Amino acid sequence: MREPLSQPVLSIKNLEKTYPNGVRALKGVSFNVHRGEFLVIIGLSGSGKSTLLRCVNRLHSPSSGEIVFHQRSTTSSTTSSTVSNTASIDIAQAKGREILEIRRHIAMIFQHFNLIERHSVLNNVLHGALGRTSALRSLLGLYSPAERAKALSYLELVGISDKSIHRASQLSGGQQQRVAIARALMQSPELLLADEPVASLDPATCHVVMDYLKKINRELNLTIICNLHFLSLVRQYADRVIALKAGELVYDGDPKQIDDAWFSRIYGESAKEVHIN
Amino acid sequence: MNQTFRRTIFDACVFAYLIAFAFLVALRPDSDRLIENMTFYVSVTIGLAVMGGLFSLGLRQKSVITLGDIIYTPRYLQPKSTTPTPLYRTFWGAQLLATLVVTFVLGWVITDINPLRLLETEAITGAMRLFGEIATPDWSILPKATIKIIESIFIAFMATALSTPIAFVLSFLSARNIMGKAWLGSVVCGLLRIGFNLSRSIEPILWAIIFSVWVSFGPFAGMLALMVHSIASLAKQYSEIVEGVADGPIEGIEATGAGAVQVVWFAVVPQVVLPYISYTIYRWDTNLRMATILGFVGGGGIGTLLMEYQGQSRWPQVGTIIVVMAFVVWLMDAFSSHVRSAVK
Repeated sequence: MREPLSQPVLSIKNLEKTYPNGVRALKGVSFNVHRGEFLVIIGLSGSGKSTLLRCVNRLHSPSSGEIVFHQRSTTSSTTSSTVSNTASIDIAQAKGREILEIRRHIAMIFQHFNLIERHSVLNNVLHGALGRTSALRSLLGLYSPAERAKALSYLELVGISDKSIHRASQLSGGQQQRVAIARALMQSPELLLADEPVASLDPATCHVVMDYLKKINRELNLTIICNLHFLSLVRQYADRVIALKAGELVYDGDPKQIDDAWFSRIYGESAKEVHIN
Repeated sequence: MNQTFRRTIFDACVFAYLIAFAFLVALRPDSDRLIENMTFYVSVTIGLAVMGGLFSLGLRQKSVITLGDIIYTPRYLQPKSTTPTPLYRTFWGAQLLATLVVTFVLGWVITDINPLRLLETEAITGAMRLFGEIATPDWSILPKATIKIIESIFIAFMATALSTPIAFVLSFLSARNIMGKAWLGSVVCGLLRIGFNLSRSIEPILWAIIFSVWVSFGPFAGMLALMVHSIASLAKQYSEIVEGVADGPIEGIEATGAGAVQVVWFAVVPQVVLPYISYTIYRWDTNLRMATILGFVGGGGIGTLLMEYQGQSRWPQVGTIIVVMAFVVWLMDAFSSHVRSAVK
């Protein structure tokens, strides 16, 4: 395990989210995310995990609180592990085009993959470049050869470059999620949000996808925040774990430290741990 | 409160209607007398409605379920009857039956229904002669009819082709899930919807009358009439498809930092393109049916020819035109349903 002390990429303070229907999904959540970390968020359905991730890339707007994003400034050299210059921006306060700009640097993958099923695998990966491509160029499909080469290289990284001309709908669930990972990498993000990335996959495929996430976390030094259901996966993949219960943070620490007592505190007395192998 | 208000208004109208009918049966006024004494009859009807409303409120005090309750009061607020009662023995059932019977009788009188007239010997001979002549088409006008039906086909095609791109753009602007997020968007969306409904409620034949005055008689007027109607119809159908798209791909594209136009193009359009094609083909099919009769009001196409021969009572020629129309419409219908099932 690497030293988890590098500067934070994200500092969340007193984050609250109340939906228009009155549901308080987040009740003052605070934590930091460190650069290069594989952070897993656990909690029951409805505990606020998805809301939290969607506040970070502003698919949802928080009601109050701060989400400070310590963005690497574009001028500094990007050699990792050195303390590079950063620019801080409060995501919670961003408006209009600022939100789009923030989303370019924070990629996301989803439980149901959310690919464009009628488009080819390669085009789906190229969608990751939409944020930095003008509307007209993208509508005409004018991606530069460099972008195409980059998209192919990411497909290779997730091991499905041979499928690049297939329609996304022809792929299995696990393959679709890997395409989604390649699309996310195409953004050259500083942070990857993963909302239940394996919840709709079978156990075997689930490990394949988690292994790829771990691989890009290690090899590309990409910070990952991942919502998960299964505690066994958490122990295997997470550097650090956060638990949410009814919109409040109830645990923040080493995944190995979550024992039975903690388990029933997070998931309720009657819950039983299910193992996935 | 709101429900009580609505149910009372509804019941008031029903009671006024039933009592006014009883008066009509008793007095049997003809249209001239009705028009002459309009003020009197209108005030009597309003008076009856007010009494009906009071009666209905009285029934509510006695917790009798009226037809207004059945329609406007939610099921869980209605008092539950403990024993099952047959429909005609409940108050609202009797009210419903009385209203239906009265409406049917009125309808019979107003539409002047007289089945015996179908069987009068003179009428039958006339009809048989007409059918006979139509059934022996005059094929010498086939070339002329063909040229005119081709005109109709192209009127329908151009109306569809020109309205499709306009409706395409408008459909996103009038879809609540795309526009409803911001205040300004909701206003634009609402105004467009009102506009569509207004222009759709004017039938193409009325548009054709307007345009035949504007750009003079001919296929151009017919094309414009169908186009105006098609834009509104297609935009409404398209926007309903847009409102039914899955949110997942939209989130997926939004998360990449794509702008609004890119989100629509990459996440929404791929989901709607097949139903769009299907609706467009169907619109061409519908437009063709309408294009065949627009000639009656100066909209060009084969309708012009039909009106001409019909006016001169040249029934064999009319027969030819009917055959040509039926054939082309049938062909288009078959083609359209084939394409629509192919793009599913």
